[in-house]
Amino acid sequence: MSTDQNSMQREQMSQGVMSVGEGTRIFPDVEACIDCGGCVVACKRTWDVPPEEQRISISTMFEGQEAEKPQLNSNSGRALNQGEFPGETSFPMQCYHCEDAPCVSVCPVDSLQKNDDGFVEVVEDLCVGCQYCLSACPFGAPQFPESDDGAEAVLGGGGIMDKCTMCEERQHVGKGPACAEECATDAILVGDAGDIADELDKRDAAPAFNKEAMEIIFGADEARAFDL
Amino acid sequence: MTNLDHGKFTRVTTMFHSLLALDVFLLFFTGYSVMFNDELWWLLELMGGNTGVLALHRIAGVGLIVLTVFWITFMIIGPGRRSNFRAVLPDLKNDMQAFIQDVKFVLGRADERHPHARQFAGYTSDEVPLLSYVGKGVIFIFAVELTLLMVSGLLIWSKPSLMQFFQTKAAAMAFVVFHGLLGVIMLMGVMFHIFEHGFHPAFYPVELKAFISKDKMPHTDHSDEDHEGTGIELLTLRPSWNWAVNLGGAAVVIGIVSVLLGSIFDEGYPVPRELTIGGGPTNLLLTIGINVGVLVLFLGLLLSVYGNVLRARYERQVRAERRTAETSHSDD
Ligand code: SF4
Ligand code: SF4
Repeated sequence: MSTDQNSMQREQMSQGVMSVGEGTRIFPDVEACIDCGGCVVACKRTWDVPPEEQRISISTMFEGQEAEKPQLNSNSGRALNQGEFPGETSFPMQCYHCEDAPCVSVCPVDSLQKNDDGFVEVVEDLCVGCQYCLSACPFGAPQFPESDDGAEAVLGGGGIMDKCTMCEERQHVGKGPACAEECATDAILVGDAGDIADELDKRDAAPAFNKEAMEIIFGADEARAFDL
Repeated sequence: MTNLDHGKFTRVTTMFHSLLALDVFLLFFTGYSVMFNDELWWLLELMGGNTGVLALHRIAGVGLIVLTVFWITFMIIGPGRRSNFRAVLPDLKNDMQAFIQDVKFVLGRADERHPHARQFAGYTSDEVPLLSYVGKGVIFIFAVELTLLMVSGLLIWSKPSLMQFFQTKAAAMAFVVFHGLLGVIMLMGVMFHIFEHGFHPAFYPVELKAFISKDKMPHTDHSDEDHEGTGIELLTLRPSWNWAVNLGGAAVVIGIVSVLLGSIFDEGYPVPRELTIGGGPTNLLLTIGINVGVLVLFLGLLLSVYGNVLRARYERQVRAERRTAETSHSDD
């Protein structure tokens, strides 16, 4: 690829936040993530998240290692999908507001609900702290900040569940999720499934999750938009 | 009174039965108000609201384990317990025969039920075994169910540790689903148990043998008397039995069918999503049905308390009679 082509491509790249509101999806471009923690700080500052809790966290695997195949070193997503060793890869982990949310289906008290505009919400007054959602969520999104307090600590309960809201309130007034707006490398993509798939294509990146996980996040139909 | 087969259980057994019932009812009320939350939201509110209900469930779970450990220890070292334990073991030949004869009896091909199928039918205690084959089955099934519920309950006590231990979330979910499904099965069994022992024509509304221990039961020796019959001929059926048994029976059937349907319709839990047949559970009939089922449990709790009230009354009466007898004796 010539330098010219490179700069053209960069011009075509979008911001992380492409559209907000109804039907919005949030999805990481693991290749762009540099584990700077900007999203974590933005989230905590926006929502006053206490120190012991994180609604978004970066998990970095194989720190300092190179991919087995040099040509896949800058494409962890593709490497992972081909079953190759990806080298250092950072995942911004948060709630992806799955289309086929397993947490919603296991919650015995309907505290987790997928609402009409696509956000998966926690109704705090209903949550009994059973932590079934924790067992069901493939992405480790549910958090239980109260599980170490008082009676919960003695009896092993979870307290009330808390997780990323995809900044629903901000989206209602036309702003993007704080983490995505803050991300210096635009590693958190926000838009509809088509926007996100196109953007990953433009960046010559592949989703870092396998087909099964993509179908959970986007639903079987929309998951076809991705090159899997 | 005669030595009918009702003075069966020791004091420890009757006490254990009452305590076990109380604890299991607490487990049921807390567990089902979570499981059938759409239908039993009011019960959940009564049981400590969304932040307290599972704490109560866990405390009752520990209670169940304590009771069980006590009981097993007692069975092993308590005086004369091993013969009782033997009475619970299946007697393959007779129990099978009793079952086959029951099938024939239902089909109208046998005139009477096998002694091993009888709890009470005008028989004296030496004519029928301590437990009918149905009784043995109930004890066996409840023991297995409670053991599995305790084991799976302990395993899902701390889900994060369980997930770490098995290195997979699927294992945690599998135990959760297992615990829930077993709970539903047990619920159906307990409803049946309440009906079976609360609505027996000879005992309605409670079988006192579950509450009054055998040492407190009067045993009159009839061998020297010219007495025909065992005393069943002296019993009269309570007038309310007829409608009560129909009402109770209907409630049990509605309850059992509803919790079964409810657990299938409430997608995801406890039946895995792939196996469910319906979406939303907010169905009026189902709500009524599941509430009827829980009403049966309340009835069971009530009967258990009533049985103990009767026991207390009876014991008071016996004490009073003894005192009168003593005073009249010292007067002589
Ligand atoms: S399964 Fe996890 S990531 Fe998906 S909606 Fe539920 S909490 Fe969010
Ligand atoms: S912890 Fe709360 S949100 Fe999660 S499954 Fe249990 S009740 Fe639902």
